[in-house]
Order: sequence, then structure tokens, then C-alpha cells
Amino acid sequence: MVMINNKVKIKTTNLNVYYGDKQALNDVNLEIHSKEVTALIGPSGCGKSTYIRCINRMNDVIDICRVTGSIEIDGNEINKKEIDVVSLREKIGMVFQKPNPFPKSIYDNVSYGPNIHGLAENKVKMDEIVETSLKKAALWNEVKDRLNEPGTSLSGGQQQRLCIARAISVNPEVILMDEPCSALDPIATAKIEELMDELKKSYTIVIVTHSMSQAVRVSQRTGFFHLGKLIEVDTTEKIFKNPNNKMTQDYITGRFG
Amino acid sequence: MSDEAHIVKSYEEELQNLNDSLIKMGSLTESQLADSMEAIIKVDKESADKIIANDAKINELRAKIDNQIMTVLVKRAPMAIDLRITISTLKISHDLERIGDLAKSVAKKIKPLPHDLPKELIGSLRRLGDLVQKQLRNVLDAYLNKSKESAITIWKNDEQVDDLTNTAMNEVADFLGKSKKNLELATHLLFVTKNIERAGDHITNIAESLYYLIEGEYLEGARPKGKDIEKN
Repeated sequence: MVMINNKVKIKTTNLNVYYGDKQALNDVNLEIHSKEVTALIGPSGCGKSTYIRCINRMNDVIDICRVTGSIEIDGNEINKKEIDVVSLREKIGMVFQKPNPFPKSIYDNVSYGPNIHGLAENKVKMDEIVETSLKKAALWNEVKDRLNEPGTSLSGGQQQRLCIARAISVNPEVILMDEPCSALDPIATAKIEELMDELKKSYTIVIVTHSMSQAVRVSQRTGFFHLGKLIEVDTTEKIFKNPNNKMTQDYITGRFG
Repeated sequence: MSDEAHIVKSYEEELQNLNDSLIKMGSLTESQLADSMEAIIKVDKESADKIIANDAKINELRAKIDNQIMTVLVKRAPMAIDLRITISTLKISHDLERIGDLAKSVAKKIKPLPHDLPKELIGSLRRLGDLVQKQLRNVLDAYLNKSKESAITIWKNDEQVDDLTNTAMNEVADFLGKSKKNLELATHLLFVTKNIERAGDHITNIAESLYYLIEGEYLEGARPKGKDIEKN
């Protein structure tokens, strides 16, 4: 049996998202549990990426986007104007589909966040943060002798782990991953999945994935989205062995018409 | 259960072929069990040879199903109902193979029988054989129709198999008590009776696998058992 954590980290209530006239999310009620991996699955355009972009207020950068409803992190509402999105994003890191290191050195990629958030008082402290973050991202041994080389000189899988190191360098509580392995080969994917197993001990992780088997491998809970609605959320074991909803079953078994 | 077809047609075909193999295996096992019951009652040694030889066909089908299942697991990583179909089919095919083995064991006991069965032993043995055959037929029908209700009924009916086994065994024991000359025949018949009862147990296993396939949950509670039957 999978260990299930019952502490809710992120509570979403009646969340609606509109891009202009188009409604992208429809009354989503979802609880993300602390120090677990929650996988979000569903066909393209179902709203899963829109959902995770609400958690760190990434949708704010889209002019025509309007978000209603409530998102609480540790009981604090984040979906309100007064929230300082910069410090919110310090708490909520994000990793994207395509590795996107800054056009800077490996070292600078990781020190960038701690630098702008003023997390290191001196170079010794910053070196420590960079080393710890790269170690946590399981990349340190591969890059420790080439920290001044550009981040873009690394392989795709290494770049993705560099992005994870960059995300965790500012001590976030939540890591959002939007299809983090879709551009990676199976070995690089396995390294990220292994890393997720390790990271979930310290962080709450939400991953959007198109790979059912990846969702089964890495997550403890799974939510299925369709046409902007959360159709079903349950333990991953339940969803993939015996889902309650026929639509969930038809999607995960490849019957979706 | 889902009435929608898979987007990938070859996946649909693979599951259909798996289903066809299992039905073929079920029907072969049904014949073998029926033939072995008929042969033991008539002490038909010629049929016994055929039954023993035919068992290989059931084993071949089981091997074929094992292979088909490995292919589905590797190619499709089946989920939800497809996963339950795959795993349940694997389990059911192994229970059918064991029922085939037991029919073969019954047939093997026919050859050393010293003479025809005494009339007083035929009644209970036939009733037990008929009931187990009916249970097998019903569980195969239930599999075809994916009937949860039938699966539960078959599972519960094993109690009757146990009771009839008990009666048949007592009659053999009484027969043995009459004369030491009866020892050889009685010993063989005790084995035969026990084998039929064990075939019944495999049928209830199939009912359990079928229930899991349909519901995604295990049948709750202990299986009802007849009185005084020692399970092994």
C-alpha cells in the first residue's frame, strides 16, 4: 500500500478560469496533499496546465485571463490582489516541459533565485546553496567541475535537473511540474522520476503528465480533468485499477472517442 | 465495464484474442471433466486414454494465454478494466489448467480399477460429478456474460459440492468397511472423489477472479464450507 498523507497543502474551491469568453476551468474543487506527488492527467486542452498555473499565479501575466474562486495554501488565500506574487513564487517553484535554463553559467542559473530574494549574505553561503540545490537535484556529481560552463551546454536531462535545482534553490514548499519529462529520453526520465521520489520527502509536488504509466509510477494521488472540469480525483492506485467514473476509465484505457 | 472500443484497433484485437483463447480453453476443460466423469462411472478404460492424451491441449492453451498476456502487458501497460481483464484471465486460465489436471487424474484412476463400480456408490458420485460440471458450465457462462450475480451464486454453491463430497466419501468408507477386498477400489474412489471436489474449489477461484474483473474488488468474507470437509 502507498503511504497517503492526509494533510492538505493546497485547497482549491470553486475555481473558474476564463480566457476572454472561453472558460478554461469550471468549478474545480481539489485538495493537494502535503509532501505527496499529485498527478494531473487528461487530454490536451482539458485545463490541467491552466490549473497548476493558478497555484503560482502565472495566469496573471495573461491579460485576458480572469480567475474566480479560492486557492488556499496552508489556509491562506492566494487568489487575491494584495498577494505579493514574487514571494508567492518563491514558495512555489515551477519546472516546464522544455528545459529552459537561463543563458548563464550552471552556477548562475542556481544562484539567480537566492540572489534576487537575498537568501545568501556572502559568497560562501551562496556556494553552499548552489551545492546543496545541485545535490538535491542529483546533478552535483556531473557538474561540480564545470560550474562556470553555460547551463545550455548540458544534455536535455541535465538541463531539466538544473531547472529543478534552480527551482529548489529558493527553498520552495511546492514544486509544480508541467510535463517535465516529455522532451527527455527514458534514462533522463528515470533520473527525474527517481528525483521526484526523493523530493517528495521535503516538497509537495504537482505534476501534469500525458504518460499514464508515469502518473502510476510517481504519484500517490491522481486527478483526471476533461473539458475544464475535474472529473475524478482519488488515490493513484484506485484511479488506475478501478476508477469510479466511466470517463476516467475510457481515457486511461485509451477508449476516449 | 466499458462498452467503448479502444482507439488502437490492434489492442482491441489482442484482448478479443485473449478472450477467445480462454473460452476455447474453458470449453475443452468442460469436455475433459464431463468425459472423465462419464468414464469413471462406466469404468471405460479406452476413454481414459483419450482423456489423458487430451490434457496436453489444455496445457498448450494455457501456455498460449500466458504468452498473449505477456504481450499485452509489455505492449499496452493495461489500466483499469483492461488490467483487471488481463490479470483475471491469467488467473482463470491457471485454474482451468488445474481442473484439466484433475480430470486427467480421475482418468488415470480408471485403469487400475479392478472391476465395475458397485451400484450403491454410483449415485452420489454421479450427483457430485454433475454438480461440479454444472458449476463449471455456469462459471464459463458467467464469464461470457460478465455476470456478477452468477459469480456470487457459483461461489456460494461450493458448499453443496462440499456436502456431496462428504456423502460420497462416507459411502465409500461404508463400502470399505464391508470387506477388506474392497480396499483397492475404495482407495481409488476416495482419490477420485477428492479430485472432483478440488475441481470445484478451482471453479470457485474462477468465480472470485471473475467478480474482481467486474467489480475491481474482492468478494468479501470467507467462502461457505460444507460440514466436516477437510480442505487441503
